[in-house]
Parts: sequence; C-alpha cells; structure tokens
Amino acid sequence: MTDVQALALAAVAVPALSAPALALAPARAALAAARGAAALTAAAAAALAALALAGRSSRGDWLVVDEPAGLLVAVIAGVGLASVLASPPYLATLGSSLVAGRRRARAYLALLFAFWAVLLAVPLAGNLGAAWLLVEATTAVSAVLVGFSGKPRALEAGWKYLILTSLGLGVALLGIVLLAAGVPGGGLGGLSWDALARYGSGRETAVVAYLLLLAGLAAKIGWAPVHNWLPDAHSEAPPPVSALLSAALLPAVLLVAWRSEHALAPVVGAGTAGGVLVGFGLVSLAVAVPFLWRPLAWKRLLAYSSLEHMGVIALGLGFATPLALAGAAVHVAAHAVAKALGFYAATPLLEHEPRAAGHPVTGVARTEPALGAAMGISLGALAGLPPSPLFASEVLIVASGFRAGRPWAAGAATVLLALGFLGLLHALLETTVGKARRRNASPRGLRGVVALAAVSVVLLLALAAAAVWLPGADVVDSLAGAAS
Amino acid sequence: MTAWALVAAGLLVLVVRRGSLAVALVTGQTLLLAGIALDHAGGGDAAAAGALAARAVGLAALFLVLAARTREPRRVVARVAPLVRAGAAAALALALTWLVPTIGLESRSAERAVLALVAFGIATAATRRATLFQVLGIVLVENGLVLAALELPGASSPAIELGAALDLTLVALVAAVFHDRIFAEFGAGDSAALRTLRD
Repeated sequence: MTDVQALALAAVAVPALSAPALALAPARAALAAARGAAALTAAAAAALAALALAGRSSRGDWLVVDEPAGLLVAVIAGVGLASVLASPPYLATLGSSLVAGRRRARAYLALLFAFWAVLLAVPLAGNLGAAWLLVEATTAVSAVLVGFSGKPRALEAGWKYLILTSLGLGVALLGIVLLAAGVPGGGLGGLSWDALARYGSGRETAVVAYLLLLAGLAAKIGWAPVHNWLPDAHSEAPPPVSALLSAALLPAVLLVAWRSEHALAPVVGAGTAGGVLVGFGLVSLAVAVPFLWRPLAWKRLLAYSSLEHMGVIALGLGFATPLALAGAAVHVAAHAVAKALGFYAATPLLEHEPRAAGHPVTGVARTEPALGAAMGISLGALAGLPPSPLFASEVLIVASGFRAGRPWAAGAATVLLALGFLGLLHALLETTVGKARRRNASPRGLRGVVALAAVSVVLLLALAAAAVWLPGADVVDSLAGAAS
Repeated sequence: MTAWALVAAGLLVLVVRRGSLAVALVTGQTLLLAGIALDHAGGGDAAAAGALAARAVGLAALFLVLAARTREPRRVVARVAPLVRAGAAAALALALTWLVPTIGLESRSAERAVLALVAFGIATAATRRATLFQVLGIVLVENGLVLAALELPGASSPAIELGAALDLTLVALVAAVFHDRIFAEFGAGDSAALRTLRD
C-alpha cells in the first residue's frame, strides 16, 4: 500500500470509526471527543489533498486519488471540520429532536461523522458502481440529519429528500446496468472509470445509459428540473448539516457526474456529453434566478443560490476547456466557503430572530452588526460581488463558453448570471441594512460565526488571487487530464 | 415466465388496497429474485441470493411491525383510482421499452420485465399517498434493477450486489423511522399532509 492509499484509507476510516465511538461515548466527553476526531480527520484529509494536488496520484479499479479528488477532499474536510465546530451552539438551541434528550447530542454527532465519512469516500471511488453505492449511502445518513429536529417541516423535508433522491438514484442505477452490459469483461464490478471508456455495445445504447445516469444523478445534485427536494432539505436541516449538504455533498456527486462524462465522452461524443451538462446548467440557472428575486427565508435563499451555483459549475464542466475547468475548480471551493458561512450564521440568526425560520429577515446589521457582517460577506460572495472569487470564476466559465464554440449558451448564462447578481444584491441590502425589527440580544454561537467569517474572508481573497493565477497553470492541465 | 411473475407482483402492488398485502407481494417478489440468483451458477450469485433472501425477510418483518405500530384510523386513499394508476404505469413501462434500446441482458423478456418494474415502482411512489406504499415503490425499482444485475452476461460482483442490498436496507430503515414519526406527528402515514413547504 502506497502512502497516498494509506492516507486515503485513514481519511475515511477515522470519521467512520469515530461515528460508533461517539454514539457510545459518555455524554460529557462526546463534544470534546468529536472535536479531537474532527481535527484528526481534517489533518489526514488535508495531507491527502495536498499530495493529490501536488500530482501524487493513485489510480485503481476501486480507489482513485487525483487532482479533482484532492480538491473535493480538501473542500469536504474543511466544511466537515467547521460543521463539527459549529454544532455545539446548534445542539444548545435544539428544542426537540428525533432522539430522546440524553442521547440527542451523541446520536447527532455519530450521524454527522458517518455522513462525513461517506462524503469523503465519494470523490475517491474508482468505480462507478462503488460511487453509486456511496452516493446512495449519503442519502440514508443525511435524510435522518435533515429531519433531526423532528419538527413537522423537517419531517416533510427529510421524507421528500429520501423518496425523490432514492428514486433518482434508481434511475441512475438503470443507466449503470446498461453500461455494465457493454464494458469489457461485463458485470457491475468492471465499471472502473478507465473501463467505461472502452464501452463496446454501440453509441445509441451508451447515449441512453448516459442520459439515465445523468438524469438520476441530477436528482441528487439538485439540478433543475429535478431539484424539488433541495430548497426544503437545505432550509429545514440543522445549519451545520445544511452546510455539508450544499458545500460538500452536491459538488461531490457532481464529480461523479463529471467523471462519468469524461469516461463516456469518447463513446457518446464529446459534444453530446458536454451538451447534457450545459443543458442542466442553463435550466438550473433559469429556474433559480426568479427565486433569487423573491423575499425568502435566509436558509431558503441560500438553497436557491445552491441551485444557481450547481448550474454554473455544470456549465464550466460542460464547456470543458482548461479555462472553464479552472473556473469550475475555483467555483467549487469558493462556493463551499461562502455558502458554509451563510448556513453557520443561521444558528445565531434563528436565536436572534426566531421568525427567520420561515420569513425573510431585514436589517440584521442594525440589530447585531457582527452577525449582519457575516451574512453580508456570505451573500456578497455568493452574488459574485467583486472581489469575490465567484465573480472571477463566473467570468472564466462564461468566457470559455464563447471560446468553446457555444456562444448561445454562454450568452444566456451571462444574462441569467447578471439577473441573479441583481436579485442577490437586493437581498444583501435588505438583509443587512433594511428595516430592523425588535430582536433577542446576544445569540449563542455568534463568536464562532465571527471567527469563521474572518477565516472565510482570508480564504475568499486567496481564492480570488488563485482565480487570476490558475488559467495556464499546470494544475489545471492536470485537472483536465485527470478523468480522461 | 419467472420474469413476468415478478412484473405481475409489481402491478398488484400498484393497485392493492392493503399495505400488508403489498408487503407480502414485494417480499414474494424478492424471494423469487433470490431463487433466480440461486439458479445461476457461480459463487457471486450465491452470495447475491443470500443477501436478497435476508433483505426480503428483514424488510418484510420491518414493514409488518411498522404497519402494526401505526394502524391508520382511516384508510389512506390514493388520489388516483387503481385502474388509472395501472394504466399510467403500463403507459410509462411501454414508453421506457420504446425509448431504451436493447440493454444486453440474457433475454429480451428479462429486459422488458426490468423496465416494467422500474416504471411500476416510480408510478407507485408518485401516485400512492400512503408513505408505506411510497417506500414499497422504491423497493420495486430496486428489485427491477436486481433482476437486471442477475441477468447481466459476464462475471457478477458480490461487493456491488451486497452493497446495493445493504444500501436499500438502510434507506428502508430510515424511511421506517420517518413513517413512524410522520404518523405520530400527523396522525396518519399520509404524504398528502406533507405539503406545507412551498415557494
């Protein structure tokens, strides 16, 4: 076993083993143990990501460590660590839950670590069959977390998420079975990313299989028009879980879709393979933008912003030029930082203004300036307000669309992104400096959110600098070649 | 012949009234799939047969305990009449058969049965209001895909097949927890009550 493979095993095994250990740990020690396990997991994952991004790859039938996996592992590790650190204030404010009082915190932490472990394994899967199994496993674990509060709205959101994504993944599995019949050697075990490129049962069947696979995965990624669960699940889940769902789960499944697209492009045709991604991207943008103009509850607004950003990433992967891939890479990382901060801010926000669970909030910076600043940083970055790295990545992606010979798609994306920007800018102004209401003072978890906001600003500025440096860099060529 | 017995069981799940009867039908269907796996030569399929049989019995026990724990005060009536449900599901199955080219399974009837079961599962989840039936719809889809995996030419993969059985069991367990809580919260396992989150 190489050092890269050993680190990959450790990055998944530490949170996987921590989950049952936390469930059985003494109640007093659970939170401290969770922090320690989270630090250990993040360290192993960060080391793995550093090696992968430096070009130390490993490629087998069951495990793949390459630059795209490194990027996603880094994102999932960072968001996972922050979610564990942001959980105690959430648990302190939790009134009811699916689990009885004394075991509540331990059950929540055990589920969170189980979800984190499966999430870390998804980008490392070297086989489409294994990737499907892991994505399906994320559904089972995260659905419980979505409904964890046990409130009627959370139960509704969790149920919709479970049923719709399970059915979607069933459709994806039908596509996988079609592919399995045509790969050399046959069978579901032969579905390594390299073997997919040698599919030999004809283009027509491959196209149908690819469409079924992408349509099924789209239900999990939250691409329109199969996104119905997304606003509900992201708005009703505990805030640290919403952060993991939006910033880590969606791009992790998107990576599976991208690896499938790269592997099957020689069979179905690069134009068709990329065109499907561009189509999902444009439809997602078109569906998301009208909602960004409406006054929505904070977490629901962030959920529709996820739909918009998954659409942007799909466009980048569909355009598939080195410039577009550089943009998509920056977009994945910057979206994770900004979106996670927004969701973490929801815990003190809901204590400051309980009405915010179901209604839009205005003038938060007038009543709690630090909280308003954190929300403003998140929303400003998500809107693409310069110097947000999301502005730079969107420019890279749209420009590459024109270069890639898809001017209509790039033009439509430009218009939709401009409209989305205006909608979010309006929401940013209303949320921070709009009309203020009387609210509860000193919400719990605010200090932690302020610290995370400071870290986020540094990361966002670093990513903005990276967006300028990345086009033409070796790592982008590696990203482009990694899955092919 | 066996493939069409699986399809008939799927169609019945779509139209029957009683949840316990639907659970029995899905269990019988899964045990039939375990029989098909046993009938195939090779160690991989024997492992698949064992996993399928364990899943069939485990899920049947889970669903029956759940149905007993959450007896509906009134029957949860689907919005769509049984004949219309069956007609819509048959139309979806025919459309899938028309759209999806030859899959490459060992027989054409198995291919049609796979597509029919997927269509019936989706139709069950989409048209039945009772939460128990919606979960059974997912099991129907998975059973169709298990049939496809068993009828694939070439070597099978015990790791993938056992993993799929484990995944479905996990999803069913989580669905059971939700069904139980939805019943406690709303007084019925009725998905029509779950319509408050809208924009």
